[in-house]
Amino acid sequence: MTKSQIVWLVIVVVGVINYAARLSFIAFFARREMPPLLAEALKHVPAAMLTSIVVPAVVFAAPGHIDFGLANPKFIAAVVAGVVAWHWRNTLLTIGVGMAVLWLVQYLVG
Amino acid sequence: MLPAVVGMFPFGIVCGVAAISAGASPLAALAMSLIMFSGAAQIIAAQLLAAGAPFAVIALSCFVVSLRFLMYSAALAPYLRPLDHRWRNLLAFLLTDQAFAASIHRFRASGDLRASASYFLGGGAVLWIMWQLATLAGILLGSVIPPAWQLEFVVPLCFLSLLAPLLRDQPTLIVMIAAAVGVVALDAMPMRLSMICAGLLGILAGIVADRVGVRRD
Repeated sequence: MTKSQIVWLVIVVVGVINYAARLSFIAFFARREMPPLLAEALKHVPAAMLTSIVVPAVVFAAPGHIDFGLANPKFIAAVVAGVVAWHWRNTLLTIGVGMAVLWLVQYLVG
Repeated sequence: MLPAVVGMFPFGIVCGVAAISAGASPLAALAMSLIMFSGAAQIIAAQLLAAGAPFAVIALSCFVVSLRFLMYSAALAPYLRPLDHRWRNLLAFLLTDQAFAASIHRFRASGDLRASASYFLGGGAVLWIMWQLATLAGILLGSVIPPAWQLEFVVPLCFLSLLAPLLRDQPTLIVMIAAAVGVVALDAMPMRLSMICAGLLGILAGIVADRVGVRRD
C-alpha cells in the first residue's frame, strides 16, 4: 500500500470506529442494561487514557530521558496548568497559562 | 462551551500541521478532521503515520483511544432516549470530550431535555465547524508558524484541561498513577503501544481500587 492509500484507509476505518463508539450506547445498546463490570471499567477509561496520552508528552526532556527539573520546561508548565485546570475547569485558561509558563521558563533558562 | 471552542482552535491547527508533516495531502488532512473528528485519534494517527507504522497498529491505537466515547455515550444515553433516532444519530456524531464535559452537568441538573439537547447540538455544531476551520488554518499556515513557539504543546495542555478535573476521588488518583507509571515504564515499546498498555493498566488498577475501597467501607 502507498502512504496515500494507508492515510485514506485510516480516515475511513477510524472514522467508522469513532462514530460507532459515539453511537454505541446512544443507539445500538439503548435498550440493554450494561454489564456491571463493563460499566465499572468504562468509568475509568477517560482518566486512564488521558493520563497515558498526557504523561509521555510532558515528562521526557529528550526521547527516553525523564526530567522533572528546569531542563524540562514542559513538565513545569504542565504541573502549573494541571493545578489551573483542576481548580477552574477551563480549557482556554489552562492552555493560556501552560503556554505562558512554558515560554517563561524557556526564556529564563534559555 | 465558549472556552472549549476557543481552546480547541490551536489544537485543530496542530492537527492540520501534524497531518501534513506526516505526509497526508491537504485534502486527506482536512478529511481526517471532517470524518474522524477526534483530536486525540488524529494526532496519534498522524504521529504513527509519520513513524511508518502499519495500518493495523494505527487502527488499534485509535480504537483504544476511542473507548472513552463508549463511556460518554453510556452517560448520555438515558437523557437522549426520548429523542427521535435521527436527532440521536446527529448528536452522537458531535460527541467529543469538550461537548461532553460542557453539557453533562446541564443534562443532569436540568429537567428540560429539549433545552439541554439544543445546547449540546448548538455547542457541538460550533465545535465541529471551528475544528474544520482550525485544521484548514493548520494546513495553510503550518509552515509559517515558528517552531520556537512550540505550538504542539497545546495538545497535552488540552487533554490536561479534561484530565485534571477528573481527580476528585481516590480510585481516580490510583488510575492516574498506574497509567502514568505504566506509560513511562513501557516507553521503550515500539509504535506507542505503551499508550494502549498503560491505559488498560490504569483501568484495571481502577477496578481493583474500587473493589478494595468497597470492602474497606
